[in-house]
Amino acid sequence: MNTKTANLIDSIKNVASTILEKDIALVNGFSERQIEAISKQTLIIKAGIATGEIEDDLITFFLDGLKHMVTNFINTLKGILKVILEKVWNGIIAVLYEAIGIFTV
Amino acid sequence: MITTKLKTYKSILIVFNFLLFASCKTYLAPTYNQVIVDKATEATTETYLFFATVTGGRDKDSYSRREDTYNTLISKFETLNLLAKARPIPSNKTTQRINNLLAERNSLSSSNDYPSAFAFNRIVENLVKMKETDQSSGLNPIVIEAFKGEIEIFLDQAITYESFLKR
Repeated sequence: MNTKTANLIDSIKNVASTILEKDIALVNGFSERQIEAISKQTLIIKAGIATGEIEDDLITFFLDGLKHMVTNFINTLKGILKVILEKVWNGIIAVLYEAIGIFTV
Repeated sequence: MITTKLKTYKSILIVFNFLLFASCKTYLAPTYNQVIVDKATEATTETYLFFATVTGGRDKDSYSRREDTYNTLISKFETLNLLAKARPIPSNKTTQRINNLLAERNSLSSSNDYPSAFAFNRIVENLVKMKETDQSSGLNPIVIEAFKGEIEIFLDQAITYESFLKR
């Protein structure tokens, strides 16, 4: 492998890992916040049902809420991952173009 | 001779296609909208302010004093729901296929194209339910805590997603 190829490979690795390191850290923070908040919410509902302060249709409403928040937590993660993939893809293409001598906007 | 020419044309075509497609930026998610983030931040502050005023519980007799606040918050999050869904989404055949499969199997629809819109909509549902409960029987502290907890989780999902779209 010649020096130019090795440099190009390094540039591709750098652009991908820079994006991934920063964004994955943000995703981890979001996931931890969500898991903690959903756990707390579950315990609040449990306590409310046990004491009779949450009753009748509110029980159904809050249990549905738990299902919705977990589903949308996953969908939010999927949405964020799409953005990360997009950034990595466009970053690599920009490096390849630069190597050819074309500069993308 | 003909084979060599064909090979050359093929190579040129491949390079041309690569340049053509690669020169366009790929979009897999909706565009960032600063207005949504600003409005969401504003509505979040107002929601927290409202929860701060009702902490400790409220009787149904004083509901009329809170009605306007409920209506204001509901309309703000309905607007956000609309704004979040009003953006075109890059078409994604894989997602469509997964959703079709889920629909065929009667599973929970993923509606994953607009996670922030889904969150804003669920916040509206929470505020509407809280308003109804407040009007009919008042609010005890744990019910307020449960509404606040759910709204906070959806706010985090919506704001994190919308902020992430800034790339």
